[in-house]
Amino acid sequence: MSRLPPPYGSRIDRSRSLAFTFEGRRFEGHPGDTIASALAANGQWMLSRSFKYHRPRGAMSFAGTDANTLVQVGPEPNVAADLTPLEDGMEIAAQNVNGSLARDRDAVIGRFARFLPVGFYYRTFMGPTKDAWLKLWEPRIRAKAGLGVIGADAPDIAVDKATWHADVAVIGGGPAGIAAALEAARAGSDVVLIDDQPALGGHLAYTPEAGAVGELVAEVDGAADIRVLTDTICTGLFEDNWLALARRDRLIRLRAAEVVLATGCIEQPAIFHQNDLPGVLTAGGVRRLMHLYGVAPGRRAVVYAADPEGYRVAEELRAAGVEVAAIVDPAPGAAAPEGMRVVAGHIAAARGVSHVTGVEVGGEGIACDTLVVAAGEVPAWQLPAQAGAKLGYDDATGRFVLDLETPGVRLAGGLAGEGATPVGAPPMAPHPKGKDFIDFDEDLQVKDILNAVKEGYSELELVKRFSTVGMGPSQGRHSALATARLVAGATGRSVGEIGVTTARPPTAPETLGALAGPHHVAERRTALHREHLRLGAEMRPVGAWWRPYLYGSGDRSALIEAEVRAVRDGVGVLDVSTLGTLEVRGPDASAFLDRLYTMAHATQPVGKVRYCLMLNEMGTVIDDGVAYRLAEDRFYVTATTGAVPRVYADMAFWNAQWRLDVDVVNLTAGFAGFNITGPFARDVVAALDGDIDFSAEAFPYLTGRSGQVAGVPVHAMRIGFTGELSFELHCPASRAGDLWAAILAAGEPVGLKPYGLEASRILRLEKGHILIGQDTDALTSPEELGFGWAVSKKKPFFVGKRALEMRRRLGSTRKLAALTFAPDAELPGESCLVLRSGAPVGHVTSVAHSPTLGHGIALAFIHAEDAEEGRRVAIRARSGRMVEGTVVGHAFYDPQNERQML
Amino acid sequence: MSAVYPLSEAGAAGDLRDRLVAGADVALADLTPWPRFGLKGAGAEAWFADRVDLPEVNRVTEGAGLRVLRLGTRDIMVLSTDAEGSPVQPLRSAWEAAPQSYSSWREETWAWLRLTGPKATAVARRLTAFDLRAAAFGESDIAQTRFAHQDGVLLRTGDGFDVLFDIASTAKVVTDIRAAIDREEVFG
Repeated sequence: MSRLPPPYGSRIDRSRSLAFTFEGRRFEGHPGDTIASALAANGQWMLSRSFKYHRPRGAMSFAGTDANTLVQVGPEPNVAADLTPLEDGMEIAAQNVNGSLARDRDAVIGRFARFLPVGFYYRTFMGPTKDAWLKLWEPRIRAKAGLGVIGADAPDIAVDKATWHADVAVIGGGPAGIAAALEAARAGSDVVLIDDQPALGGHLAYTPEAGAVGELVAEVDGAADIRVLTDTICTGLFEDNWLALARRDRLIRLRAAEVVLATGCIEQPAIFHQNDLPGVLTAGGVRRLMHLYGVAPGRRAVVYAADPEGYRVAEELRAAGVEVAAIVDPAPGAAAPEGMRVVAGHIAAARGVSHVTGVEVGGEGIACDTLVVAAGEVPAWQLPAQAGAKLGYDDATGRFVLDLETPGVRLAGGLAGEGATPVGAPPMAPHPKGKDFIDFDEDLQVKDILNAVKEGYSELELVKRFSTVGMGPSQGRHSALATARLVAGATGRSVGEIGVTTARPPTAPETLGALAGPHHVAERRTALHREHLRLGAEMRPVGAWWRPYLYGSGDRSALIEAEVRAVRDGVGVLDVSTLGTLEVRGPDASAFLDRLYTMAHATQPVGKVRYCLMLNEMGTVIDDGVAYRLAEDRFYVTATTGAVPRVYADMAFWNAQWRLDVDVVNLTAGFAGFNITGPFARDVVAALDGDIDFSAEAFPYLTGRSGQVAGVPVHAMRIGFTGELSFELHCPASRAGDLWAAILAAGEPVGLKPYGLEASRILRLEKGHILIGQDTDALTSPEELGFGWAVSKKKPFFVGKRALEMRRRLGSTRKLAALTFAPDAELPGESCLVLRSGAPVGHVTSVAHSPTLGHGIALAFIHAEDAEEGRRVAIRARSGRMVEGTVVGHAFYDPQNERQML
Repeated sequence: MSAVYPLSEAGAAGDLRDRLVAGADVALADLTPWPRFGLKGAGAEAWFADRVDLPEVNRVTEGAGLRVLRLGTRDIMVLSTDAEGSPVQPLRSAWEAAPQSYSSWREETWAWLRLTGPKATAVARRLTAFDLRAAAFGESDIAQTRFAHQDGVLLRTGDGFDVLFDIASTAKVVTDIRAAIDREEVFG
């Protein structure tokens, strides 16, 4: 272990050790280490192999800005080793390795680099045959794809999500960010301070002045109105300062009135032959290693000081006991630090195979095990760019500069240009031996960018697409400036004109868990949910609602058939509480319904129930139900279960448009409903204790009565879906239990049987009743359904009337028809096509075997000319065989409607 | 028999009663059975104005065992401040005796949960995107917003909140709120 003594290593706890493995070898680190710092402390610098040439790579910045630190930790791929805290027992492996990290068989690819020029993907993988990509190349590339493996047995990660609000969000917890947060808090603002590191301090934390951090942090801790989020990255800045703040296991959506961006600058690598070798470190990388983790970068270092910062780092290295073999300065000043050799020039090459062993400067070789690069920096432009900042370039400092005029977003610290020192642009000529990497993620060299320009891709966005520069995990943090300089030089434009490619969110990797929506499945229960379970119901979701599909266990077909027979021969009860129910009330209630529905309601007497058909403005049927007139100014209106939210929203919309004196309330969840149906239905309701007269004379078909039943207030309606004598009792949901119990008790002498949704579906189909949405689609008109009778010819207006008239003139080629099938015939499935002379003219919308009739029945759209009773239509069944259906009248069962009128 | 609500023993979500908690840091209670009464539509404003201190829209007034919620110009309801709700019943009786305006049926269509305790706000931040800071959402404010993936009416109550929402979704909402409480315990 090559640890420096305290005060180096401010983040690590030397009193404890953590054991972990890397590539099967056991190592130890300390709490506070990152994976990469712990490995460096053990002399393990190589972390991965590069994407294309499988070159050895290690951490360069220790700041998460380079891509070559991605490792596999257990089942999780692409973990940034230089950011991720070390944990006891971690099993870590290198990525993109064929064989072992030390002996990667694919490293040989690097020798063939000249045969793999920029853009070779686009040429090579297109041939040699037409389908070569799919058959030859893709399988091989997939087998080679090297960015880790997702473990199928990866444990679930709980990701916490919340929404916060603040007056001011400060992103970046360095000196500038802390100052901004404190100032805002002093002015009375509620502040959230966000930093991607485990502790505040920014670059101050890894300098000899780190002691000042403690005072700043103490001041932040003492400010009541500052919430601090460390280990958290702002991955996106969206409209109106909507910020995504991500930690591995947490996503906070923060809305801030003001945002201060203080994310500092990104150090840039220098461009020379073998600039990617492990042991080449940025100045900041060396400082982080020493000051935060107490790790000496090596024994003998060369410092490249294109940025004056290099001199300070050289002093710090010497103070830490690292020999400084030379400082290489492109433009040496007057005085060299005492005892240090300063060489004028640029680094031409690094020597070594898997680690730096020396450098070449002006033809001279200097032995070293560490090459420290201080080659300037660029502001972290990603979040400012998302906020609308314009990017320019300052020749004097060799930096990008940001110009942000977006209200509510400000730049501070390095982003605002503070601390910028002049750094000359380095020479950008390609090295004769190449391996002078511009983009470490994609193994792109100087000549690759220049060749892309030569190919004609002179615009930066095109260079990016052709060469893939900036597309890797580091997203151009280390390549954007060098690429801009190269393209500028090759096209005779300024660096500022070239700029950078669009910076989109996320600015840093996010876990899929943070992006995935939580598994929220809407669940609505009727008041009798648990009563149905007690009765043995098999519950199924119908939209958000859970409803009894059938009651009992065993042979389902037999159970469903028994439920159907109970209704046809005796009496059954269905929980219809999910049916949409609305109360429309006010002086203009009937006028409102007249405009909304196709039938006439102004003339509807109190106590009468009338069918309702709703169209949209295209004349398409979108819902149906009934309206029970409770009083001159009150209607109790039903809507289909699935459509009621839309019906209610439409009613609210039209009410606002028309400005009638009407109020609408959606009672769906608050009212329960039970349909008692079958030849003995009246026996059941008549036996209920109450003040409603259920006799045929007092309570005829399509009327409604309100009163008390079993002490429960009810609206009762004589309507039916099954074709049998039916009474539907609706009551407040809190009293549903009482009413249900009374109904079951009253029905016991006549064998009342609860039935489920599947029996209901068959019963209504036998009667030829449609289900909106099931037997209609986005174009279905009332005429196609044979519902001309439900459309008023007298009303001057209702929604869809105009469109209906226009569509009537155009005519329709299809019609919904009732079809029967021979008893032994194969039945087509829903959506099976109806064919006419081999061409599709419609489809099956509902189909079932009718227990009552003993054969198959269906509703289907067929050609309008075939819609005569007795005509035969051809349908292609799921098996592919053709089956024949015979057109019948509107109902399969009791077409004279005698039974429901009993 | 009396009214049965979802989180009653025999209610539709009675199997989830153990999701309610009475912790020191955070408590989740079901107030759905507590008395309340509301009118909506023509005449609602005039009827209530004669009887209670009527607030502005999206504001609450409180006094004499009642909280008066103005959900819209013509959408007003009163909540009892305790389980007995003695001041609510006379109002309801007066209306039933001489109905003006129309019942809003909130006592049937909405469930009523109360989330309180020092950590209630931290829990609620996981359930709504609404700005819950005191400066933005004061003691007399009403938020008609999304809460626990539902449309909901949110009120401040002491160190927490009352939320009124679709009664049929009680099982889902109580499960989601409890999950947020549990996450607060894990993540803080």
